[in-house]
Amino acid sequence: MTPTLRHLLAYLLGAGLIAGFVYALSVLGLNPISLLEAGLLAMTPLALAAVGECLNEKAGVVNIGLEGILLITAVVGVWMAELPGFGGGMGILGGAVAGGLLGFGLGAISVYGKADQIIAGIGLNVFALGFVPFLFISLWATPGIRVFPAELMVPRILTPFGQFSPITLLAIVLAVLAHLLLHRTVLGFRIQAVGEKPEAADVAGVRVDRLRLLTSTLGGALCGAGGAFLPLGWFGGVVKEISAGRGFIALACVVFAGLEPLLALGAAFLFGFADGLASAVAVTPGVKERVPFYFVNMLPYATTLVVVALVIGRRRFPSTVGRPYARE
Amino acid sequence: MAVPARVRLPLLRPLIEQLATIIFGLVVGALLMLPFGFSPLRAYRSLLAGAFGTIPDLLETLAFATPLMLTALPFSVGVRGGLFNIGAEGQMYLGAIGATMVAGLLPLPAGVHLAAATAAAMLFGAAWALVPALLKIWRGVHEVISTIMFNWMAFWLSTYLAVNFLGEPGRAERTVPALLTARYPVFTEDSTLTAAIFVAVALCVVVYFYLWGTRAGYEIRLAGENPEAARYAGVHAGKAILITFLIGGMAAGLAGASQIIGRPPAWSLYATLGNVVTLGFDGIGVALVGRNHPVGGVLAAILFGALAHGGRLMEYEAGVLSEMVRAINGLIVITLAAPEIWKLVRRRSAR
Amino acid sequence: MRDIHKVYADGTVALRGVDLHLSRGEVVGLLGENGAGKTTLMKILSGLLRPTRGEILVEGRPVDFRNPGDALRVGIGMVHQAFTLVPPYTGLENIILGQEAARALLPPRTGAARERVEALMAETGLAVPLDDPAESMPIGVQQRVEILKTLYRGTSVLILDEPTSALTPVEVDDLFRFLGGLRATGKSVVFITHKLKEVLEISDRIVVLRGGRVTGEVTADRATPERLAEMMVGRKVVPRVSRAPHAAGRPVLVVRNLGVAGDRGAPAVRDLSFDVRAGEVFGIAGVEGNGQSELVQALTGLRRPDGGEIVLEGARIARLNPLALYRRGLGHIPEDKARFGLALTFDVAENSILSRQAEPRFLTGLGRLDWRRIVTYARELVEGFKVVTPGLRATVRSLSGGNQQRLLVGRELSKSPVLIVAMHPTRGLDIASTVYIRELLIGIRDEGAAVLLVSADLDEIIELSDRIAVMYEGRFIGAGQAEEFSREEIGLLMGGITADGGARTSAPTSAPAAD
Repeated sequence: MTPTLRHLLAYLLGAGLIAGFVYALSVLGLNPISLLEAGLLAMTPLALAAVGECLNEKAGVVNIGLEGILLITAVVGVWMAELPGFGGGMGILGGAVAGGLLGFGLGAISVYGKADQIIAGIGLNVFALGFVPFLFISLWATPGIRVFPAELMVPRILTPFGQFSPITLLAIVLAVLAHLLLHRTVLGFRIQAVGEKPEAADVAGVRVDRLRLLTSTLGGALCGAGGAFLPLGWFGGVVKEISAGRGFIALACVVFAGLEPLLALGAAFLFGFADGLASAVAVTPGVKERVPFYFVNMLPYATTLVVVALVIGRRRFPSTVGRPYARE
Repeated sequence: MAVPARVRLPLLRPLIEQLATIIFGLVVGALLMLPFGFSPLRAYRSLLAGAFGTIPDLLETLAFATPLMLTALPFSVGVRGGLFNIGAEGQMYLGAIGATMVAGLLPLPAGVHLAAATAAAMLFGAAWALVPALLKIWRGVHEVISTIMFNWMAFWLSTYLAVNFLGEPGRAERTVPALLTARYPVFTEDSTLTAAIFVAVALCVVVYFYLWGTRAGYEIRLAGENPEAARYAGVHAGKAILITFLIGGMAAGLAGASQIIGRPPAWSLYATLGNVVTLGFDGIGVALVGRNHPVGGVLAAILFGALAHGGRLMEYEAGVLSEMVRAINGLIVITLAAPEIWKLVRRRSAR
Repeated sequence: MRDIHKVYADGTVALRGVDLHLSRGEVVGLLGENGAGKTTLMKILSGLLRPTRGEILVEGRPVDFRNPGDALRVGIGMVHQAFTLVPPYTGLENIILGQEAARALLPPRTGAARERVEALMAETGLAVPLDDPAESMPIGVQQRVEILKTLYRGTSVLILDEPTSALTPVEVDDLFRFLGGLRATGKSVVFITHKLKEVLEISDRIVVLRGGRVTGEVTADRATPERLAEMMVGRKVVPRVSRAPHAAGRPVLVVRNLGVAGDRGAPAVRDLSFDVRAGEVFGIAGVEGNGQSELVQALTGLRRPDGGEIVLEGARIARLNPLALYRRGLGHIPEDKARFGLALTFDVAENSILSRQAEPRFLTGLGRLDWRRIVTYARELVEGFKVVTPGLRATVRSLSGGNQQRLLVGRELSKSPVLIVAMHPTRGLDIASTVYIRELLIGIRDEGAAVLLVSADLDEIIELSDRIAVMYEGRFIGAGQAEEFSREEIGLLMGGITADGGARTSAPTSAPAAD
């Protein structure tokens, strides 16, 4: 079975499952429109993080710390939005900047410090687990939850099909741009060379380190935008567990998509749908009593596992990824 | 058993390097505290005093160290075997559930009960590590993704079981406490340290002897160091992966047990899993500081236990949230991930 | 280059004050044995490494290269020993990488580039398929892409590192003709090699390195192999191993109709049949990539054959795992010691039992390792095979390549095998270790073992083998007693060119084994 055929089958399977679910749940009382809305909202942070990470991994750098970046930038985003005169949009921007800084730092450690990228990423996640509660107390004097005024949220666009966030649109546009960047520009040409065989690029005169630093920063910035979106575009408040493993689901999207941004967008929608389903079930009256809360919450993770196990098979992190490149 | 001085305890230079990393983490932590108006000096003074100030404090530090030396093992044994098992969280939750079930609901005669609860915990933990291992062996699924997914699923599963099946009647926030026959003996009245620490240290020592003193352990380390040479040496890759995961799962399960049947005053599992949560991730830092060595992990666990216990006093006296200790933990991990930093430092100091 | 010193971060001193000068239109041969520092020196010249001390002057002006791009801008380019092509990229893409003639966010100008490359190909006579992916190209063609890549950037100084190691003799002639052409157009070439014959053939001037220093410099017309060998090794003649004729005994290894698939599914070994008898060295010559690796892997339990049978001492072994094979008397010296045969971060004692860790001799009850016995055994190995090491607990990575291989060979030979499979046993080693290991192989053959030697080093094959076969595209295209072949004949066979008349066949030279 060729990879393309496999992907197509996976998407059909996913679409079929989604259709089946939607039907089943509409029988139970859930509205398909609200499911689509929830699914797209859930897709957005995943897509942003995944597309950014696609670029990064194409250059041979893996950022396991996406989860940590999501957590920290969620807080930063809310803090920024609450500053006088700023608001939701600026909050997202602030999240992107913070994410870019974190990505830059991680990239510098990986590239110049020749770090084991997986361990450094895990370190970032652990750091965030500790630093974010600290930020909650220090910034807002609350132990774990911060709700902000609704007018600070990024406003939704109303269409006859439901309401959507402009950030969702942004995510789609960015995925397309990333695809064009990778496949149609000199920069993308060099990025892929650096990821496949850094020695070849180095000898050809390409600045491997600088390029990897760039992709790491870009990936972090996109992830940061996704992190800020979680409270500002979706939940309306921030809790210290707001990322809930989404950083790792984004990594699964990237692996699933073979590092291709457009495919990652599709994967993000698939996983996002499961994610959104969980949220929708938890809040829809009539349904939440009938479906056990705990099992629905397991759904995104179980879906990720099943898809990764069934479809990806032998696919894994590319072999050059994760290992630092050294000349001597 | 002839094991010559093949002890891989850190020699002087690595010891200094690890200490320097810890100091670096503390310094950066201090820098992060300053903008918010906290005094790092007050914070760290309280940290030290809280950790080692009195005998009960020392014992309490050891009580915090007990689960950490165990949750370090999934990661450190994993690295030795060439993989990244970061599923200690989930494996630990299931271990706690197992211990609670046997300790709280299954009356057994005195000595047997404790052993059974401990064994159940290790069994549950190993079982939760089994599926990611098989997924890796059969489908090549990368364990970083699978173990994290399993961590989250374990969280929801354990919470569900704790609330719906193991809950103490009348007290919704935790499970039934361990029956008296299934509790580890306490050292003193004013600390939470129990004899569980002996079992923990014993397991670490056993793992050490296993990895360096047996043929199977040698093969696991070989598979981690050079998979192609391992094939050349006839090592069965799948078996090595499986054993590596199972050891980790057992250790994490025992860590879960240590918080239930080895930790007063609750002797039970909180419904929010609050008394076990994040200990798995903390274990990664412990493993790295211990240079991925089971015995090194014991020493590192004492250090991190000191940070955890001291952190509470730090929060009380200096107002710095004890979670900052976890942030410092993460910084240490990041620093330890980058060996070149040391080469740069060494080169500079050699000039 | 003046007074170049290079000390690596871990303390290894690679170069101790080397001077080198290069003129226009000159081919300089940089000669030295493995580890002498030739590659390091040229990596510094091409900008990949920076010298710890010393300076480089181009046309009289001092330059400081911080990366290969700087050197390329000045016109210096290097073709490395391990190829630096991006495997899935096409020939054209590999050539223009880094020189796409467009700004970062615009598409690369492949149309204009293609014209330039085609002009370059016509000018130099080097033809490559521009639209095939690099990974599908044979090694000789990949090398041409590498050369084109360097020339595309307008280099005037071309550095080649051991360019002939993977070429057939015919391809080597083509390469030398091309280099002569370059010289005629005024470009300069630095040719790194350890092969005396080649350096004499192609160079105008020869510079010899040993231990990081220049030990001699001489023009080619005044150089003799003896003088060069002396400068290279400190001895007048490179010692050869003496091989007394030895009567071969019964067949120890019998291979019939063996077929083995390569990594991509295509057959790498096709319908191969041969015997190896006790007390003989059977040498398989051939350029790398013709199925030798797959053959050796099938024989040593690391790859499953598709068809045919392998019989060792009368027992079928085709699908057994390595440990079972070792138990039956197989010894395996793998093609890359660091990759397959040793664990570099483990110490000497632990490596001494690698592949022997299941033997009861090294175990006590319950699967525990008997370290006392292992240490004793390791000490015997180190002393018996002259492994230079600070101690048994030193990590194997800290040993030199020659000592690592001695440890490995010693380990395999101490299994008292009936069959030794040795692939590239002396590749990359210093002369002393090379000679020693070759003597060991002859020694074990004299004691009655069967030795299967696979090597791309023609001298090694000729020196050691009683019988020779040449492997090409998965088959033997020539086989027979060593004396029946001339060096030139083997060279041609390696390139796939059979003697006219077809006198040489790939039939086995002994009767099929009874089962």
